[in-house]
Amino acid sequence: MSNKLVGDIIPPVGIKYICCYVLLACALVIEARPISYSGGSTVMLQSNEMQNSTYYHYSPTYKFSLGVEQVKDKYFDVNYSYFRLTYLLNRKNTKHSQRNLYLQSGLSSEGLDHYFYGVHGDWETRRLFSGFGYKETQTEKLDYAEQYLQLGIAPYIGEYGDLHTWLMIQSKHNELMGDWNTYPVLKFFKGNALMEVGYADTSEWDIHFMYRF
Amino acid sequence: MKYLYLVFVMMAAVYTSAHNHTMHDMESYNHEGHLHDTMVDGKLLEVNPKRFDNFIVDLEGKQVAVVSVSGMVCDFCARGIEKTFSKNQSILKLDVDLSGGKVLLAFDRDAIIDFEDIKKKILSNGQNATDLQIIKI
Repeated sequence: MSNKLVGDIIPPVGIKYICCYVLLACALVIEARPISYSGGSTVMLQSNEMQNSTYYHYSPTYKFSLGVEQVKDKYFDVNYSYFRLTYLLNRKNTKHSQRNLYLQSGLSSEGLDHYFYGVHGDWETRRLFSGFGYKETQTEKLDYAEQYLQLGIAPYIGEYGDLHTWLMIQSKHNELMGDWNTYPVLKFFKGNALMEVGYADTSEWDIHFMYRF
Repeated sequence: MKYLYLVFVMMAAVYTSAHNHTMHDMESYNHEGHLHDTMVDGKLLEVNPKRFDNFIVDLEGKQVAVVSVSGMVCDFCARGIEKTFSKNQSILKLDVDLSGGKVLLAFDRDAIIDFEDIKKKILSNGQNATDLQIIKI
């Protein structure tokens, strides 16, 4: 395809946007709905190759959440807690979509030398979902980064109160574990409960359960 | 083996979803002459007919606020709307129409419906209320 033809199909400004998005995505741990509605609480249970964790957060407003996460770190074989803050940096609501950009941070109970910070975002309609995340963790022993990308499609459009299903593909990269790992994920939610189940040869099960109240 | 299991679960999900979709299609019916065909303030009332008719079944003599909401793209993120409005005792009944991006609120006929208050409550859930239509039943 000639450059002219590419230019005809995608205007130059569009190409810049696409390049920026791809670079951001490539530069860039999975956390659907990290902030609840005003006054809402959420409990999350997560299990993957790196850790098992239980996380509770409370949202005074829809803009941020404060929480405590109890972590069983499988890689370093230690247990600790994170005191976490997540902030909604930007949200765009349209009639058929929502886009979010969040900042996340956590300070470990082990001391000031152990903390994390990162950014994650998503865009979704009732049919499509895309998300990305980047997280940098600093510990006394080692510093490392994690990234993920997620794409999903809803095979049917459920109504309020139905069981909702998403078929997703997820790519994760953790500097401690090596290469990018891509695997399928199933996401279900009904009422106040949400569950994600993924499986990869190298990292095995990636399970995430959430309940909001 | 685990991959096979996952593929099986995915196929089951797709089958269930297709079945579910068919069920929704079957629920579509001729709704000519119902209240949802009416014009409100010069605008056609855009609501899910089946959902709307079910909602107003026991609301004779009441009024219904149809609130247009942007950003209400998933069931899970609309839950807070139900939580917030269910604390308000002047609201007799509530429904969320995800497909139409509407929240239906039933009030007594003499209740004052404050759109600014509704906007604040929707915003506290992270969405935006963009329009309000009031229908006397």
